[in-house]
Amino acid sequence: MEGRHGQKKKAESPEVLKARQEHEAVLVREYCGLKDSLKEIIDSKKRDNDALRTTTALLRKGPDYYTVWNVRRTILQEGFLNGADSATADKVYTGELEFVQENLNLNPKSYWMWNHRRWCLEHMNQPRWDKELATVSKFLELDARNFHGWDYRRYIIRQLDLQDKAASDRILERAQSEFDFTSTKISQNFSNYSAWHNRSTLLGKLAEDMTDEEKGLAIENEFDLVKNAIYTDPADQSAWLYDLWLIGREERSISILGSTVISFNPLEIVVTFDETVKLRNPFTVSTMLDHVALPLDGEWRATGSDSSIGSIWIFQQAPGSVYGPTVEIVIFSDDVCGVRGGSKLASATCFELETLDQNLDNISGRLERLPIGQNLMYDVSRRIGPIPGPDGTLDTQRTDSKHLVTSLTVSDSLQDRMALLERETAAVRELVELEPDCKWPIQILSTLLSELRKTISIHSAQAKQIDDECIELQEKLISIDPLRQERYEDRRTQLVFDRETLHIIKDSKRFPEIEFANQQPRDLDLSMRGLTHIPISSYLMHLHTLNLDSNSITSTRFLRNLLNVRRVNLSNNLIEQLEGLQHAPSLGFLTVENNLIGKWEDVVAGFVFWRDGKLSRTGGHVRVLLGNNPVVENEGGEYVLEKRWEDVGEVGVEIQWKSEEQRLTEEALIAAEGADAIGRIHLEGTRRVSTTTVEFDAGH
Amino acid sequence: MSVLNNTNTALDASAPELLMDLHVKYIQELDTKKQDLEYWLTEHLRVNGLYWGATALHILGKPDALDHEKIVEYLVKCQHDNGGFGGHIDHDSHILSTLSAIQVLITYDRLDAINVDKVVDYVVSLQNEDGSFSGDSWGETDTRFIFCAMNCLSLLKRLDDKRLNLPKIIEYIVRCRNFDGGFGNSPGGESHAAQVYVCVGTLTILGALHHVDVEQLGSWLSERQLKCGGLNGRPEKMEDVCYSWWVLSSLSMLKRVHWIDGAKLTRFILDSQDSETGGIADRPGNMPDIFHTNFGIAGLSLLGYPGLVAIDPVYCMPRHVIQRIGLTDKH
Repeated sequence: MEGRHGQKKKAESPEVLKARQEHEAVLVREYCGLKDSLKEIIDSKKRDNDALRTTTALLRKGPDYYTVWNVRRTILQEGFLNGADSATADKVYTGELEFVQENLNLNPKSYWMWNHRRWCLEHMNQPRWDKELATVSKFLELDARNFHGWDYRRYIIRQLDLQDKAASDRILERAQSEFDFTSTKISQNFSNYSAWHNRSTLLGKLAEDMTDEEKGLAIENEFDLVKNAIYTDPADQSAWLYDLWLIGREERSISILGSTVISFNPLEIVVTFDETVKLRNPFTVSTMLDHVALPLDGEWRATGSDSSIGSIWIFQQAPGSVYGPTVEIVIFSDDVCGVRGGSKLASATCFELETLDQNLDNISGRLERLPIGQNLMYDVSRRIGPIPGPDGTLDTQRTDSKHLVTSLTVSDSLQDRMALLERETAAVRELVELEPDCKWPIQILSTLLSELRKTISIHSAQAKQIDDECIELQEKLISIDPLRQERYEDRRTQLVFDRETLHIIKDSKRFPEIEFANQQPRDLDLSMRGLTHIPISSYLMHLHTLNLDSNSITSTRFLRNLLNVRRVNLSNNLIEQLEGLQHAPSLGFLTVENNLIGKWEDVVAGFVFWRDGKLSRTGGHVRVLLGNNPVVENEGGEYVLEKRWEDVGEVGVEIQWKSEEQRLTEEALIAAEGADAIGRIHLEGTRRVSTTTVEFDAGH
Repeated sequence: MSVLNNTNTALDASAPELLMDLHVKYIQELDTKKQDLEYWLTEHLRVNGLYWGATALHILGKPDALDHEKIVEYLVKCQHDNGGFGGHIDHDSHILSTLSAIQVLITYDRLDAINVDKVVDYVVSLQNEDGSFSGDSWGETDTRFIFCAMNCLSLLKRLDDKRLNLPKIIEYIVRCRNFDGGFGNSPGGESHAAQVYVCVGTLTILGALHHVDVEQLGSWLSERQLKCGGLNGRPEKMEDVCYSWWVLSSLSMLKRVHWIDGAKLTRFILDSQDSETGGIADRPGNMPDIFHTNFGIAGLSLLGYPGLVAIDPVYCMPRHVIQRIGLTDKH
């Protein structure tokens, strides 16, 4: 690192200060003299002993003056090593190693010194790597966590392995001996995380040559070692982090919740995922025309202002393209990847749409008239069997998959995973009882339970029990580890949300994937659940009304995925800025009373969005209740906002501020005289927004 | 939109204030300490120091506290024929000082003063076959140097250079990912918060953040906070102000800043100020330096400390500068 570390500030008496300053002046003169000599060496290209001595003196004072190391190597290469036989050369390098050694003891954290050491060894005719290994072992005795030391150790091992390229048994033996070295280090001090880390890489390497049975035994040993460590000091995170790794995580695959047609003219189809994905290849859309399957031209876009990632993707057919009686969408596993952790789609999926059944009266291209459930498209992946990939090969990922048991072992049977998780759960429960206020066993327990839930049906009684217990565990963590409170709250939110939306999804035929349930509710009440965010907003795609009153939600961005929602209540949350309203095409009424919206810009941000550098609009007419937000005070006491998309010249919108009284009058008028009354209502407090007056930070 | 942070951050009422004027003075006086041996021993960091100083002053809202013209003149003298910049006049080219020089020149909007094409040539020349970057022609490799290269080329809008192999870079970074979700300085290297910053930063710049397990890495990063409020760089190590930046910026790129206690960290940074000379130290009671001063102030800015100019978590430069050159869509 580049700054001063660990230098205590000392108070000095005037006498001490004066003496120090005088002494320092001498040192500065000396140092500057050496610097002048260096300049002379560079200019004169001197390559003699004098030159070398100057670099020695400079490096003793400041080993991070990297140019001096470069000059020194040049002096060696062009002077001392120039034309030297191999024995002489190695003697020169050995001298360098001794010089570095002596300085390393003073400055063990200087990158340049370790670098010079490597340079010497790599240029030697007969580098003594074994000797280096002994040197670095000693070094790690002095400071068992020095990462330069550990790096250097791994580097030596790589060099030795390179020499033994043809002798794999010796490489394996060496890996074993390094593994044993970590055992020694860990037994000396359980909190040597550097050793645990190295162990994880070595174990993976050793396992490559093990039978399944050997692997099973090896991993049992590791679990034993971890237990030893955590019973010694349950608050030390090193062994716990290693434990988490041993347990492993069943890679969650992305699920396609379903596909729905929302318009026939032009053809618009929605595909919904259970997480945010990035499109790597557009999904294949084809149609039958005169008994021939032809590609159907069109564009895939995600909802929201960033149309390149999202959980809801909309296909719109290209103008002028024609489709026949059936349309087919194929999504290959490589077409998408998860944006948070790179999860993958387990298998290719195919949806089919019969276009002859369309009822244009019902589905005329307006999202707000989307019939619920009716237009879910048929998943025909099973019927047509394995789908060949674009290159003609079969997608076999799913059929030959094995179940993870630990991070190192797999099995044909899910039972083995369950058995391991249950055993570890029982073990950690004991520790939770012994140390009820220690956070790590609780975190591990929560992880184990979540893993267990992945092996069972989401609608089983056991899954419900797990959800309830995990929520309780998060609440416990919130109370004992306040520093990370919001992390646990986010986790708790995820768990609560899963529990409250269970009726919206079901186990897919391709278990453990999930899909939309056949019957979608129109309304959902999630008020007073302590939610900090909406974890998977695509679940809510079919809802008409959503009540989120009295939670701790900080962002309204999820609204972009609520394609059908008409009314949302977000009162009594922690929202500072409106976002995503402009992408909720059917939204008519939003309540955000009693939140933290403080500025006019933060209101407007919710209505305006930019596409290709231009202000864009989605139509609609949204009423937003803003009562009890700081912005009401700041903007002059009017507290009802209505937005109306009016083009003002090329780019611009109008937003109206009204008093509550006026709003009520209007509503009464509309109730009495119908929508025609709108034109007669007097507008006040209209504000005009254009690109020139407001700048937006649309990315956030 | 205002460049200043919102003023709704939770603050510890008993916390000392940020000594803004004193820090400005501390930075302005750095170049006058020629009687100290330390001044001469840190000469190789002069260009980096200028970046730390200039950035801190911008965040403190005093962009003109140093003489721009003099700085630009000086930096021009640090550029070599090979296009790279040294840490000081007559010091060899290195990617660390090259990035710092570019950052300062962009902050002051003075790229016109140097030969940009040559900088690009130099940076591109440092890529190795496995995707990694060397720090200079002597060949040391480290994920820090990949980030320096990507950061620099991204600031110069030259990531499209045909000589670069971007997929290999991503592949290499992924090879540096560990059992705990963190990243090291090379494949097999232990996870370290500063290496996490450079790897996550590189993946952010290259639009490949999906290689990060946000839950796992975010949790690991949040476990860097200790009872005192300060952050460490690895498990079971001491707290240090500079990790306020490495950890916090990484959490910010993962959109998880709230996973640590911001008020407590704010307090820790403020307690590490030197109330006599100005400047911030690695921890309370220690000697301040410009490195910790900058990363302490940068951390406070990410935490939304009132009155500070907003900082960009990827580039560690004022957000309005990154906006000016049109790079905010990166994250």
